[in-house]
Amino acid sequence: MQCKELEFVLESEGLAQLPKDARLHLATCAACQGLLADLNSIVSAAKSLPAEVAPPDRIWISLRAQLEAEGLIKEPVEVSEHSSWWESFTGWMKPRTFATAAAGLVVLAVAVFVTRIQHGSNPGVAKNQPAVETLRPAQSTTATSTSPSSTSPLNVPSQGPVPSRAKELAPSPSESASFTLTQAELDVPDMQLAGNSQVDASLRQNLRTLNAFIAECELHLKQNPQDELAREYLYTAYQQKADLLAAMMESGRGEN
Amino acid sequence: MCASSVIHGTTLGATRRIRAISGAATGQLARQRPAPPVPLTEAEAIRLAQAGNAPAFEFLYQLHGRRVYALCLRMVGNPADAEDLMQEAFLQLFRKIGTFRGESAFSTWLHRMTVNVVLMRLRKKSLPTDSLEETLEPDAENSGPKRDVGAPDLRLSGAVDRVNLERCIEKLPPGYRTVFVLHDVQGYEHNEIANIMGCSVGNSKSQLHKARTRLRELLQEEIRQQAREERKAAKTPSGSLE
Repeated sequence: MQCKELEFVLESEGLAQLPKDARLHLATCAACQGLLADLNSIVSAAKSLPAEVAPPDRIWISLRAQLEAEGLIKEPVEVSEHSSWWESFTGWMKPRTFATAAAGLVVLAVAVFVTRIQHGSNPGVAKNQPAVETLRPAQSTTATSTSPSSTSPLNVPSQGPVPSRAKELAPSPSESASFTLTQAELDVPDMQLAGNSQVDASLRQNLRTLNAFIAECELHLKQNPQDELAREYLYTAYQQKADLLAAMMESGRGEN
Repeated sequence: MCASSVIHGTTLGATRRIRAISGAATGQLARQRPAPPVPLTEAEAIRLAQAGNAPAFEFLYQLHGRRVYALCLRMVGNPADAEDLMQEAFLQLFRKIGTFRGESAFSTWLHRMTVNVVLMRLRKKSLPTDSLEETLEPDAENSGPKRDVGAPDLRLSGAVDRVNLERCIEKLPPGYRTVFVLHDVQGYEHNEIANIMGCSVGNSKSQLHKARTRLRELLQEEIRQQAREERKAAKTPSGSLE
């Protein structure tokens, strides 16, 4: 056998189990010995290379979003095979109803508050509430804007912090909204919101951001009750939180 | 309240994105049988994925993603392109999964798509002198091992380490590179490679041998280059002003 023939054998049969003629040639040919040794070294080194490499998580997130956008992913509603149609319907509606009710309460609270502001902007109306004024700590009477915490169903909005007796009678619209949203949020921590932990973490982070912003607005309004812009931000944040909770519950419904 | 304005815009935008994702995910609300838990077999996952089941898609992705990414990474040499190619390969796979009938192994089908995606990308980037097609044709000349007098013996010098090898793999022509990575790195057999590459088993063996001999040449050049640099460094004594 010649070198050329040996290489043909290597090409067609590989490196393992060489025929007898090839082994005899190798015994006498240094060049072919070197070639075979080098090729075996290369193969050994190649085997030590990792056959698998972990891809970044963002690839799946992006891929999943694309699959959803193209409608290739279809999420069926989880329904018990033996449940009655009514149980199924109410089971589907429950988280939506709760979230929708929370959003509705916020909208109602905002509407009530805006209406009261419009009534309270007339100074003559405020003077007709002497009972409230006697309990109110000394405040400037020139300001016409009101604090959300100073309103109540029984009293016209007035300046300064709400008297404690008036407060006990009924919660303010912002307190109602805050309470409603807090109740809606109670179910969220135990829910798996999405099949992917990245999306789940992102939803929860958005909620934390909103809560921090709401707390900041509420604190600011306590210190500056006349700040209309802060009040507007606060109620917008309530609305956003209601929307976010509704979206989280919709997403979690398919996962829980 | 400037920060509040920023948060306002941020959370509003985030809420819109969340709505878009959740809205697409909930889809139709007709009563259906509940989705089974994560499937235990690939065949089950394929069947569910053909029905649009999201966990099944993710199962298949997790099952094959690492190998596909490794293949893409070795073929193109940089993570950014590898990520794009991997996503494109899986996107094509999931778009066409409804047509999979099981005539070949699912991984073979996936790798075929991946190789096609990669070679298409490389073909678009290749220079006119860097032909891809010629690497798929058997070479008529076969003149035996090159007798380089004084060429270093890789086995003795221990130069075939992972770093050198990875660097030289990147220099291989795409056709050689594909066969070498599939066979020697990822462990596919020639009949599977033939199925993936759309060539014969004999062609796969031929390409593999050529890839290995080409790598040998590249590694020898690599060693010579390193030896030259070492000699150059040795000629410059430490502390000299040169």
